[in-house]
Amino acid sequence: MKNLYKLATMMLMATVLALSAFAQEPAPAIALANLTEGQGSVASSGSQSWDGLSEFVLIPGASLMGASSTTTALYIGFTGGSEADIGNMVLYETPRNGSTVLKVTKVTLGAISNPSINLTSTSVCPIQPVSVTNPCIIRLDTVKLALSPLDDYYFTVYFTLDTNNEKISGLGQTASPGALSGWFLYGDQTRIGVKGALPTNENSDQPPYFLAYVTNQ
Amino acid sequence: MKTIFKFATLTLMMFALSAYSFSASKAENLERGVTGPVGNNTSWSGYSTVSLIPGAGLIPITSTTTVFYIGFTAGAEADITNMVLYTTARGSSTITAVTPVTLGGISNPMIDLASVTVCPVIEISTFNPCIVRLDPTKLVLSALSDYYLAVFFTASDANNNSIGLTAPQFQQSSLRGTYISGDETRLTVGAAIPSTLSFSNQPYSLMYVMNN
Repeated sequence: MKNLYKLATMMLMATVLALSAFAQEPAPAIALANLTEGQGSVASSGSQSWDGLSEFVLIPGASLMGASSTTTALYIGFTGGSEADIGNMVLYETPRNGSTVLKVTKVTLGAISNPSINLTSTSVCPIQPVSVTNPCIIRLDTVKLALSPLDDYYFTVYFTLDTNNEKISGLGQTASPGALSGWFLYGDQTRIGVKGALPTNENSDQPPYFLAYVTNQ
Repeated sequence: MKTIFKFATLTLMMFALSAYSFSASKAENLERGVTGPVGNNTSWSGYSTVSLIPGAGLIPITSTTTVFYIGFTAGAEADITNMVLYTTARGSSTITAVTPVTLGGISNPMIDLASVTVCPVIEISTFNPCIVRLDPTKLVLSALSDYYLAVFFTASDANNNSIGLTAPQFQQSSLRGTYISGDETRLTVGAAIPSTLSFSNQPYSLMYVMNN
């Protein structure tokens, strides 16, 4: 028994030494990876006015490609307009192929969930003016959420009822939507609580209007 | 000293236990599965569903097992006569391997769709589809092969006349599928997947292909 204890102590010391050696290695840089397949081309999201509309985008758990990540980065794109005024942004989590909300995660840009995005600023959109040829793609703040293939996620953004939003257009409705699909509804759809039901997607599997990519960073 | 040794042994055991729990494999998709809401397709007595899992659609996840999930939207009991997975070379219809697929260790299960242990949300519907996880198949899917999951629903069976299978509404899955009258699960190595079958649509019932 005494020998067993000695052996265990020796092994523990060896483990601690090995862990300490590994800990001194610099952490490897995390490579950018798609969590699901994003939109493959850019189009114009049509001529409708976005003031007072919410866009839902389904990020299906069944489409996740296995990149291990504890964070999720959402990228939205614009092809027209001078300022986008967002009322609120959230990420709903539901069971896979279900519609009951399990969790609501706040999504922000510059740490706020109701940003005004100046699309005419070169610090926001380097190539002016924004267009289908020169879309402005904005990375929202990284969400501290590991997407699970056992759940579905709905990114929902509400565009404030104002004149700026009458003129904006997204980069979506492309011929290559990847695994994403989206639709829009009138009103602020970002206030649904846990156990609430998401509205039915009446536009079937249309490509999203604004959400372009879902990556790990 | 004896106390230190005891403490060291206990700590080592804890390390070993935590390492074991981390090694349990996380559920990952092997293919892009069915997304979005599902529809309903009923009356399956005497029919086989055949679902294509294309090698070209495999997500490069390291896995030694393959798990199929099948979905139901109506009915009280599904009576399955047989389930198999056919392997072909990529793009070919000639079968190179036949692997049995089971649920609860048998390839001819009766699935009680009215039981909350099988389908947590009763009554099942298109809003609350019942997704059943089949037993893990000890097969490593290869990008160089295609795979066809064939499930035969027992003929002349009143239960199967009432069951509904999930029928995807979105077209964004990598999976494809069709159905055929009769038992299509008895094909052998060297035989061909019938050329009359068209795989232009999303699969009936097969929802996900995962590693766990």
